[in-house]
Amino acid sequence: MALSGRTVVSGVHIVAEEGEIAGLIGPNGSGKSTVLRTVYRHLRPQAGRVLVGGTDVRTLTAVESARRVAALPQERGTDFELSVHEVVAMGRTPYKRAFSGEDRTDTDTVAAALSRVGMSGAGRRRFSALSGGERQRVLLARALAQDPQVLVLDEPTNHLDVRHQVELLTLLRDQRRTTLLALHDLNAAASVCDRLHVLHRGAVVASGAPREVLTPELLAEVFGVRAAVVEHPLTGDPLIAFDHRGAVEAAAV
Amino acid sequence: MAPAAVERRERGAGVRAGRAGIALGAVLLVALTASVCLGSTRVPLGEVWSAVERGLTGQAPAPGTQDLIVWRLRVPRALLAAVVGAGLGLVGTAVQALVRNPLADPYLLGISSGASLGAVSAIVLGAGAGGALGLGLSSAAFAGALASFALVWAFARRGGGFRPLRLVLAGVGIGQFLSGFTHYLVLRSGDEQQTHGVLFWLMGSLGGAQWTTLAAPTAAVLLGLAALLARARALNALLMGDETAASLGVDVTRLRRELFVVTSMLTGVLVSVSGAIGFVGLMVPHACRMVVGGDHRRLLPVSALFGAVLLTVVDLIARTALPDQELPVGVVTALIGAPTLLYLLDRRLERG
Repeated sequence: MALSGRTVVSGVHIVAEEGEIAGLIGPNGSGKSTVLRTVYRHLRPQAGRVLVGGTDVRTLTAVESARRVAALPQERGTDFELSVHEVVAMGRTPYKRAFSGEDRTDTDTVAAALSRVGMSGAGRRRFSALSGGERQRVLLARALAQDPQVLVLDEPTNHLDVRHQVELLTLLRDQRRTTLLALHDLNAAASVCDRLHVLHRGAVVASGAPREVLTPELLAEVFGVRAAVVEHPLTGDPLIAFDHRGAVEAAAV
Repeated sequence: MAPAAVERRERGAGVRAGRAGIALGAVLLVALTASVCLGSTRVPLGEVWSAVERGLTGQAPAPGTQDLIVWRLRVPRALLAAVVGAGLGLVGTAVQALVRNPLADPYLLGISSGASLGAVSAIVLGAGAGGALGLGLSSAAFAGALASFALVWAFARRGGGFRPLRLVLAGVGIGQFLSGFTHYLVLRSGDEQQTHGVLFWLMGSLGGAQWTTLAAPTAAVLLGLAALLARARALNALLMGDETAASLGVDVTRLRRELFVVTSMLTGVLVSVSGAIGFVGLMVPHACRMVVGGDHRRLLPVSALFGAVLLTVVDLIARTALPDQELPVGVVTALIGAPTLLYLLDRRLERG
C-alpha cells in the first residue's frame, strides 16, 4: 500500500505500508495538514497523485474514495445536539443511497465500531456532553464505521490529557490498519509509528524508522531545539529529551 | 451489552420520531379545525364540517349559513398557515445545517429581507401581476432571497472559514439595509391604501389567503421536502464540518450550492404569499431536535409538521387576540420568538 502525494506546498513523497502506522511530524505550518487534506480529498492537489492500494483516488468518485479512506480532521465538535449513535452512523454515509434507511449491517457496524473504541452502549449519550477523550474515541469509531483501508488522522491527541492521549494511541495501534497521522508530540510519534516522515517548510526532509529519523541533528535543524535521543527505560523506544533551557542558536539560519 | 439490546435502544430514536409524527399530525388536525371555527364570528363544528363537505364535493354554498366564510376564507387561510409554517420549519432546519449554526434562521440571516425587497420591487415596477399563481412575485422574491443569501455568505466567509457570530451579524446588517430600501420603495409609491397593505404584508401576514394562493407554496414545500430529504445524510455530515463531510464522500461545494437554491426558492415563495415571518425557522428545529435528535432523516419531516402546527396556532392568536383588529402574524412570532432566541443564546453561553 502506498500513499504518495505532491502537494501545493511542494514535492512530497509519503508512504504507508499496509498495516503500518506512518507518522507525519514537523513544526507548525510545515504542511502536515495540507498533505493529509489531499489524502481525504478535502483539497485537490495541483500535481501529483494519492495512491491507495495502487489506485489513484482521483480516478474514484468521492463516495468510492470515502469507502477506502476515512479521516479524523481537526474538526472536533459540533454545536448541534447529536447523539453518539448519530455521529458514528455518519460513517455509513458513503454506503447509503438517498432515502434509504438504516439496515441491519449499519446497526451492527456502528455497534462494532463503538465496542472497538471501548464505548459500547454509549449510543444514546449526547456527543457534546462527552469528555475530550471520549469524543475522540467516538470520532475514531465513526471513521471505523466507514470500514476504510486507510485511516488518516490530523493531530488526534491535541487537547487531550496524557492518559487519554495514551489510550487513544493504544487504540489506534490495536486497530492494525494502515494509518497515516500527523502528530505534534515527537515522543508519542517515536513510540507509536512504524515509519516517520519529517516535513519542513513544505518538503519532506527525512523518512524512515523513528530510530533512524529522530537524531539530535535533525531536531536541531527542523525544530530548532537542542535534544538528546536516548533509549526509553520502559519500552526501549527512542526517547527525546529536550533541553528546555535554550533553543539552538543556529536555527535562525 | 448484547448487540440486540444495543439495536433496540438505537431503534428508540426512530420510534420516537414516528410517535412524534403521529401526535403532531393529530394536533395539526385539531389546530386547523379550531382555526376554522374561531374568529370574528364563531362557527359551530357541525356547520364547519358540512361546509367543508359541500366545498369538497363542489356544491354551491347553502344559503343562510356561514359556508362562504368557512370555505372561501377560513379554510384556505388555515391551510396556508399550515403550509407556510411547514415551509418555515424546513427552511430553518436546512439553513442551520448549511451555515452550521443552530441559531440561524432565514429571517435573522437577511434572506427574508432579500425576498421582500425582490417582491416589493416587482410590485412597484408593475411586474407583480404575473398570473393568478403570483409566479412573477415568487420569482422576484426567489431572486432577492438568493442574492441576499449569497451576499451574506460571501461577507461572512471573507478571509476564509466562517465564524457563527460574523455570519449572524452580517445577516442582520445586510437584512436591515435591504429592509430600509424596501420601506423606501413602499413609501415612495404614493398610494396610501396600497402602502398600508404592503407594510402589513411585509410584517408577515396570512391575510391574503385564497384557494389560488395555496398552489405555489404547497408545491414549493413538497418539492423542498423531497430535495432536502434526498440530501439528509449529507446534511448530517455537514454538521461536523466541511472536512469531515468531504472525507465522507460529500461534495461540499455542490451541496452548499444546491442548498442555497432550495432554501432561497422556499423563502422566496413563502415570503411572496405571507411576507417575512420571523423566528419560526429558528424555534421549530430546536424544539424538534430535543424530541427526535439531530438526524435530518427524522428532523426534516418532524420540523415541517411542527412548523405547520405552530403557525396555525399563531395565526389563530393573531386573528383573535384583539377584539376588533387583526395582528400581523409576524408580530406574534416576533413576540414569542425573540425571547426564545435570547433564552437559547443564554443557555449556549452557559455551556461555553
